[in-house]
Amino acid sequence: MRNAAPLLLLSLLCARGTNTVSCGEPHWAFQPIVKPEPPPDPSGTSAHPVDRFILAKLRERSISQGAPADKAALCRRAYFGLTGLPPSPGELDAFLTDTSSDAFPHLVDSLLASPRFGERWARRWLDVARYADTAGDNADFPVPEARLYRDYVIAAFNSDKPFDAFVREQVAGDILAREGPREKYAESVAATGFLALSRRYGTGPYELWHLTLEDSIETIGRAFLGLTLRCARCHDHKYDPVTMRDYYALYGILASTRFPWAGSEEVQSKGLCRMKFPPLVPTAEAAPVLQAFEKRLESLRSDIARMEKETPKPEEMLKATRAELRNLEKPGLPPDLAGAYAVDEGDPADAAVQLQGEPGHPGPVIPRGAPAFLPGGGPLAIAMGSSGRRELAEWLTRPDQPLVARVEANRIWQGLFGKGIVSTASNFGLRGEPPTHPELLDWLAAELVDGGWSVKRIIRLIATSRTYCLSSAEVPVASAADPANALYWRFDRRRLEAEELRDAVLATSGSLDLTPSSPHPFPGPEKWTWTQHAPFKEVYASPRRSIYVMTQRIQRHPFLALFDGPDTNATTESRRESTVPLQALYFLNDPTLDAEARAFAKRVLASSGDERGRVKFAVSAAWAREPREAEIERAAEFLQSCGAALDAAGFDAAKKAEEVWTSYARVLLASNEFAYVD
Amino acid sequence: MSTEPIASMPRAGRIHRRALLRGAAGLAAGAALGGLRLRSALALAAGANGAAVHAPLPAHFPPRATSLIMVYLTGGFSHLDTFDPKERLKKDHGKIVAAESLRETSQMPILASPFEFRPRGRSGLIVSELFPRLGDWADDLCVIRTLHTDIVEHFQGTLAMHTGSATVPLPSLGSWLSYGLGTYNPNLPPYVVLAEHLPYAGAQVWDSSFLPAEHQGVRIIPGERPVADLDPLPRPATLRQLEENMLRDVDRIHASLRPGDGRLVARSRSFDVARGMMVEAPEVFDLSREAPSTLEEYGVQRGDVKSVAWQCIIARRLVERGVRVVEVIDTGSHDNWDSHGNMQDHRPKAARVDRALGALIGDLKRRGLLDATLIMIATEFGRTPWANDAGGKGRNHWAKAFTCLLAGAGVRGGIAYGETDEYGATIARNPVHVHDYHATILHLLGIEHTMLTYRYAGRDFRLTDVSGRVVTEVLA
Repeated sequence: MRNAAPLLLLSLLCARGTNTVSCGEPHWAFQPIVKPEPPPDPSGTSAHPVDRFILAKLRERSISQGAPADKAALCRRAYFGLTGLPPSPGELDAFLTDTSSDAFPHLVDSLLASPRFGERWARRWLDVARYADTAGDNADFPVPEARLYRDYVIAAFNSDKPFDAFVREQVAGDILAREGPREKYAESVAATGFLALSRRYGTGPYELWHLTLEDSIETIGRAFLGLTLRCARCHDHKYDPVTMRDYYALYGILASTRFPWAGSEEVQSKGLCRMKFPPLVPTAEAAPVLQAFEKRLESLRSDIARMEKETPKPEEMLKATRAELRNLEKPGLPPDLAGAYAVDEGDPADAAVQLQGEPGHPGPVIPRGAPAFLPGGGPLAIAMGSSGRRELAEWLTRPDQPLVARVEANRIWQGLFGKGIVSTASNFGLRGEPPTHPELLDWLAAELVDGGWSVKRIIRLIATSRTYCLSSAEVPVASAADPANALYWRFDRRRLEAEELRDAVLATSGSLDLTPSSPHPFPGPEKWTWTQHAPFKEVYASPRRSIYVMTQRIQRHPFLALFDGPDTNATTESRRESTVPLQALYFLNDPTLDAEARAFAKRVLASSGDERGRVKFAVSAAWAREPREAEIERAAEFLQSCGAALDAAGFDAAKKAEEVWTSYARVLLASNEFAYVD
Repeated sequence: MSTEPIASMPRAGRIHRRALLRGAAGLAAGAALGGLRLRSALALAAGANGAAVHAPLPAHFPPRATSLIMVYLTGGFSHLDTFDPKERLKKDHGKIVAAESLRETSQMPILASPFEFRPRGRSGLIVSELFPRLGDWADDLCVIRTLHTDIVEHFQGTLAMHTGSATVPLPSLGSWLSYGLGTYNPNLPPYVVLAEHLPYAGAQVWDSSFLPAEHQGVRIIPGERPVADLDPLPRPATLRQLEENMLRDVDRIHASLRPGDGRLVARSRSFDVARGMMVEAPEVFDLSREAPSTLEEYGVQRGDVKSVAWQCIIARRLVERGVRVVEVIDTGSHDNWDSHGNMQDHRPKAARVDRALGALIGDLKRRGLLDATLIMIATEFGRTPWANDAGGKGRNHWAKAFTCLLAGAGVRGGIAYGETDEYGATIARNPVHVHDYHATILHLLGIEHTMLTYRYAGRDFRLTDVSGRVVTEVLA
């Protein structure tokens, strides 16, 4: 026992009879991380620390790891795993012909260095941060500035921002920005989009605000600490040692924070304007722009006042001036001053407990602070005039804070293997799943911290293990002993996630536009008339990567919804994998997919002068491997039959080749081999 | 280590998922089986079941109903003007009272209902003039006058009526039923939502949330093309056949090199189901073989593919073909029952649905389907006994007491359950929380609501959260 506090609380829990599992011993996740030594490998074949932990567990059960994956399968796995895209035929070829012993580590390095890496790994974090481009109020107002946070996350992964800094900036970036270098100001402010993205409710500004802050608290808990804090809004947590005091200690910090308001029905019905979007430049630079803007508004207001006194009233002019004023006011910022969907310091004050979770029933006032059962928890020493977010950010990343590093190390593992060492990636509490490999998890967490919180370093470490490079093939003996592959005797085959699937189709067809971010084509302020009765809903077509596609909260993006994309309303720890006939209908009949199949066919036709070469190119682009001889023969037979069918139907001979190859392309795109990664 | 969940599989190879979960809940207490093991057991179960994950599953006890038609009347229909008449409102009409609303209390005049009420059927159930045709089936209707939540916003209220939760996204009633009971027709989705307009809270209303995604409601947008991508691309049928064969070959070889992965087989089969839908679904939506008298009864005009009447007759056709849950949403988040300005605005809303709902009950009854079909008619809240504003003729939102209905299989018809006070503002007797309403519906479908659970994020979730009472008084 290293820490008395959790044990005491746990025993209280036991006294309440709410926990029958862990009584008598402290919960593993709340204990300090002590870096274990990787177990020795008696065979002497494995030097890699990850493999030593994995093999030790397999040995206990007398299970052997399977064969390594073949090179082509490994290439496809690494490309999707690190960049979310398939290798192009050229990239595949380059890897297959590199016969050096460190070809794979080199590939991993080059993928980690690619800008595509951040676009893939940011997506995983955006799931956790319940990212969306709309606010989620009853009219689901668009938030054009939300993308600055998305781009911040992409850049953070690409530049390998130390994870502790990443955490601190998302909680207190606005405060840190004032002390940091000028050129980092904008990104540091944008980082707090993590908080600003909290779910909005109702038809007016800050309506049901306690529920929005509940989402902030729950997302902070799940994302960083792997704790479900929401329950403690109304009662002490039934399982974890989280109390109502802890909840309202955090609540006070967030209630002392100024959140932006992106609009809602009352923009239209009550003439309200958006408000409290922090500028992307320091106060001193923003001030003159704001003053000039205020002057302009004043002058328009006095113009209106003057015109209203004239007889006859210049109705046309008056109307135009009023509209000009209104459209200038609505965004809540001058047109020449960019703002972020981010937070700022508000009026600092401790919050009262809301009895039964009801804001109308205040209980005792709780000093702002962090969950008391964790190291350094309880009331925080908050600087005068500060909300306490800065202190919270520092508390989260204290060296003796065991949860943040464990949770993140586990998310990295999940990102590579499709399942976490703790399978409930955002719940490390008593009701979460226990780790399959607790020592490995702690070793990785310690390694993350020791390596300066470099995420790329841990990814490289794991990806270069033998365990990551295993074949996904079934080994009957092992499968009988460990059907879920909890011990990693093979690599788990996985289906492409919604964004990967869409990106892979576009990449294979050659239609993918790799240009990064640009603003979504939202309508201008004069058209902001959405209400709960007629909410904002749009689907903007885009040839860009899926992470750049506009996603909403109340209406889900049709493709992402069909293929189990993330919930944009609540933090998502892992994706579902549904298989429904509506997905099959998409591949069979959707005109968009048909257009991509057609583009793919043209690309295949241009790739080679002969059929054999074309089949080889097509298979390489779609499945990232060489076709087998029997497959080339089957393809030839298929192409010939399709040609004959078209002839019989009197099809235009000039378009026949494209049509035949489109049929082949469609089959490849619809195939299981396209949808699954070995 | 226990293997009980697997051992409890029925011999036919179908998986009794709730038995699995019940077993797991018991095991979790003793920590005999780790969660990961459970998860994999579930995955194995799903794999063993292959594409037939929707195959009908046994209920907890013999069900009274095997399918559910949810009729959702959007915007909050007034209990005081439909099924819960109050003489006192007439007497006190215009009297100023303290009126609660979302943000403040103000002084508002009591508002009498502008509609006439009369007893209907042999039971003498009181129904307002707004529902003459539905009233024809008074002896089959069970009016619950004491529904209550604490939410007076459309968005949250709509979510609460569907998921039991006003805030945290949770699975919909229909998804829970699909998950718990499966479905009879593998060529059609188990939970179909017929909604021309998005309701408040949008797709969250029929979302499966953490339940496996095949249980999410499939929204069909009334119109010329109700299911996306159902129509084949314009190309020769022989070409389509060749592609089908080629895809089957390609996937067969791929799967044969990867034995033991049920997901691959399931995905291949989903293409077969999709092709089945391409054949079967258009037939579902083709009303040309319906008797003209039936169409007339519902009020479906020639060429109509959008009205509530069309939705109701399609609902019957879906239930007839083995779909477990069909939801009819009458209108969207605008132009609905939200009559703040004038209660007379209820008239056209009622006229839109009354005939079709009456016809639906009559039609199901005639075909013998009402013996196995439960109908619920629900809304997100009722409306205030006082006027929306001084001198106004409409009513504001009111969630402390409102009316929802049940009808059909297993339901005591011709009764009004629960009593509100003389103004219809508060509950005098027998409150029915939305969790109680849901518990009762699950009960009628053969499910013990406390036992239909799903383990997610470390806890067993259920539709009725930690409460819910089966309202046995409304059971036949």
